[in-house]
Amino acid sequence: MEQKPNPFMPHMATIKSVTDLTPDVKLFNTELDDPAAQSGFNYQPGQFAFLSAYGIGEAPFCLTSAAHRKSGIEFAIRAVGTVTNALHELEEGAKVGIRGPFGNSFPMDEYKGKNIIIIGGGIGMAPLHPVINTIIDCRDDYGNLLIMNGARTPQDLVFKDEFDVWAKAPNTKVELTVDRGDDDWKGRVALIPDVVVDLNPSPEKAIAIICGPPIMIHFTLIKLKDLGFANDQIVTTLEGKMKCGLGKCGRCNVGEKYICVDGPVFTFEQISQFIEQF
Amino acid sequence: MSKFISKDELAFWLDGLMKDRQLIAPVIVDDQTVFKPIMNVDEIVFDYKNTVLSAKEWFFPTTEPLFTICHKDGSTDLAPIDIEKESVVFGIRPCDAAGLKLLDKVFLGEPPDFIYSQRRDKTTLIGLTCLEPAPQCFCGSMGTTPNNADDVDIMLTEVEDGYIVSTVTEKGKALLSDVKLSDSEKSWQEAKCPTELQVKEVPEAMKNCFEDNYWTRVSDRCIHCNICAYVCPVCHCFDIRDCPTSEETERIRCWDSCQSPGFTRAAGGHTPRPTKGSRLRQRFYHKLLYFPERFGDLQCTGCGRCVLSCPVNIDIREIIMDVPKLGAESGAKA
Amino acid sequence: MDENIITQIRDKAKDLLSSGAVECVIGYETSTDGTTSRPAFIYDSGDVERLVFNNTCTHNLAAYLSNKKEQKVAIIVKPCDARAVNVLLSERQIEREKVYIIGIVCQGVVPVKWSKVGEDLQMRCKLCDQHVPVIYDYLIGEPAEEPSPTVSPWTSVAEIESKSPADKTDYWEKQFSKCIRCYACRQVCMGCYCRECFAELLDPEWVGIRIDISENAMWNTIRAFHLSGRCIGCGECARVCPVNIPLGLLNMKMAKEVAERFEYRAGLSDEALAPLATFIKEENLGIGE
Repeated sequence: MEQKPNPFMPHMATIKSVTDLTPDVKLFNTELDDPAAQSGFNYQPGQFAFLSAYGIGEAPFCLTSAAHRKSGIEFAIRAVGTVTNALHELEEGAKVGIRGPFGNSFPMDEYKGKNIIIIGGGIGMAPLHPVINTIIDCRDDYGNLLIMNGARTPQDLVFKDEFDVWAKAPNTKVELTVDRGDDDWKGRVALIPDVVVDLNPSPEKAIAIICGPPIMIHFTLIKLKDLGFANDQIVTTLEGKMKCGLGKCGRCNVGEKYICVDGPVFTFEQISQFIEQF
Repeated sequence: MSKFISKDELAFWLDGLMKDRQLIAPVIVDDQTVFKPIMNVDEIVFDYKNTVLSAKEWFFPTTEPLFTICHKDGSTDLAPIDIEKESVVFGIRPCDAAGLKLLDKVFLGEPPDFIYSQRRDKTTLIGLTCLEPAPQCFCGSMGTTPNNADDVDIMLTEVEDGYIVSTVTEKGKALLSDVKLSDSEKSWQEAKCPTELQVKEVPEAMKNCFEDNYWTRVSDRCIHCNICAYVCPVCHCFDIRDCPTSEETERIRCWDSCQSPGFTRAAGGHTPRPTKGSRLRQRFYHKLLYFPERFGDLQCTGCGRCVLSCPVNIDIREIIMDVPKLGAESGAKA
Repeated sequence: MDENIITQIRDKAKDLLSSGAVECVIGYETSTDGTTSRPAFIYDSGDVERLVFNNTCTHNLAAYLSNKKEQKVAIIVKPCDARAVNVLLSERQIEREKVYIIGIVCQGVVPVKWSKVGEDLQMRCKLCDQHVPVIYDYLIGEPAEEPSPTVSPWTSVAEIESKSPADKTDYWEKQFSKCIRCYACRQVCMGCYCRECFAELLDPEWVGIRIDISENAMWNTIRAFHLSGRCIGCGECARVCPVNIPLGLLNMKMAKEVAERFEYRAGLSDEALAPLATFIKEENLGIGE
């Protein structure tokens, strides 16, 4: 009988570059060693992959690059545990493993013609990054683009190098905020939910995509609902501990769903139907 | 008219099978009946109720390598795991066989689990009818029966001096190809489980009592060990970790349980199910609501091992009987 | 005799709950097999009829106190369980004012598995020299003269001690290879209350998650070391083990070592300092001088 591939085995990959984005977040640009595997590795905004630091372990990370740009498979990783700290030790040329892509994706086609509001807190910008770049690259297909990005301090804003590029695009606004400023910071010092109220985006033909710490999502959701956004207009990616990515190990089970297979992208309409609220 | 094999002929046949196959059969170890690979047919125990651990460990082992990573001369190679040898599991009860069919829904669903599917393909199941179910058995309420042959390849039922042989699948037929079975009119009595439960309304009733204090109250005595998940023929949660040695790293998977306190704890400390009640609730909701919603069947075959082995008598039969009464009320807040 | 004890337990529980003296009574009730018992948590004075007491009440309920620190609870204890409460008190895991201890004068318990009740007393009961709990707020049962057991408390470990090193290795390898790392022994143990057990740590990884003889041996022996001078011999670890590993032997061996070297036995007082688990800042250790 035909041997099926082992879905637990990653592709061998090499780190092409490591860039410091913030004091604890690095951007890893990788490429699969096998050219056929690399060109076949197609993914959409919202999907994730497992990155292996061989000998230490494997962990899931959202794919932060936009696949159509063909500029490498990128992960923005914050050092917070054993695997992420091990990855932070690696340099250009190091061998890693990549398994994926897994999960569902943001339905970008459904978002065409709509006004998109991106709300990202801290490392929550990582899964939103490919959404923004997909919109920027096909700017005319989408309505207004409002990008709200918050972080603890100015240094913790993740994709600083791209703010100007985004802001220059037509009908696009980039609104930044921090919890604590520094001597050079001339911008807003406020929490994201308050910024949402301040900017007062209209729910008319709009989709709001939120990603960040649970507490930020919780309060931002309340403010968006106050502004008239319906549950199916608000989208997020769920963070749950994931191990297999295949819906088999049971760790990311919530209700009859597995975050790794049925998510991680869910609308709040779907989340409100979950019998268990995480 | 049925087909029959005598006890001596059975021993002879099993002995022959061991020449190029691994034969896994029930044996006694320290007063307990367990499935083990055997060297000699004399080791097999034929007169037992059920094994302590289910047959699932021979398809989904407690620990197994997923692949190995060899570091040599600066290069890194990944080597898959191949299952070479054919196996026979002898003496599997209908509840465990039904359990394997349910595990298939998880492990063989897209994408199929490479190693599990090899083990399933290369293993033939010889079942043994239950003629005397144990006090904890309730398979008859959970979609199978003490003599159900649907989920095995060959079914044996003990009668006077030997066994009635039922060939169920082509795989079973192939295993019996060299065996001369005689005809027999010997009869046997179908057994019934001591407990009968009404399970049809349970999933729907579960939807109405998620916030009920009941789960916290039951979890008071739960010690949150992994026994229920590990003895269960259908529980399938696992952990994955890299195990380096000096020459290579094995990425292994091993059994895990949603009951253990750190199960949902992520790096950074966020734990979605920190309380005893939420973890105990997850177990029963997964078995009695989520799994049927996703796969169509309750995730329980009524083998009763959890009932027997739980140190504090958390009894799924009691839960199944209590839930419809909870669902009927409006459900108090936890 | 048992009926009298049960009545007293129920009356006391009703009294404590209805007066608001405690929020919960931790005791025993009948299991689903109709004969053995299981832990019971009674919150309402109307439910006290659930409480029972008989020779199947083998569970050590003290382990539950670590989970009920915020509430005022009453707990039914046998003499062994009372020693467990003392260990938790001396290790400052629970507050004395929050626990109302209902001590039972104990005649021993039998081996218990679901739907199976043994005839003869458990070995640890046969070796027990303490029929009255060393600590209680309320005593139920008639204290008789304390018996002196005819055999040494270390009888069960003597058999293993007498084996040759090679036989011991064989014996324990056989036992540890059965272990499936369900951690029931740890979860049921009153002494294992660490929020994150050493076995769960990734960094450093003291014990791998691999379920094999090497890791299993490390797990079980390190746990026994962590309990040295703290284990009170309730035998729960051995009872709950689904694969019948005689874990009590390991813990009794360590208890014997501590008893012989330090003349110390765990759980006899709520203030005693366990020899291997105590660090006194003022003690001069001669380090760094």
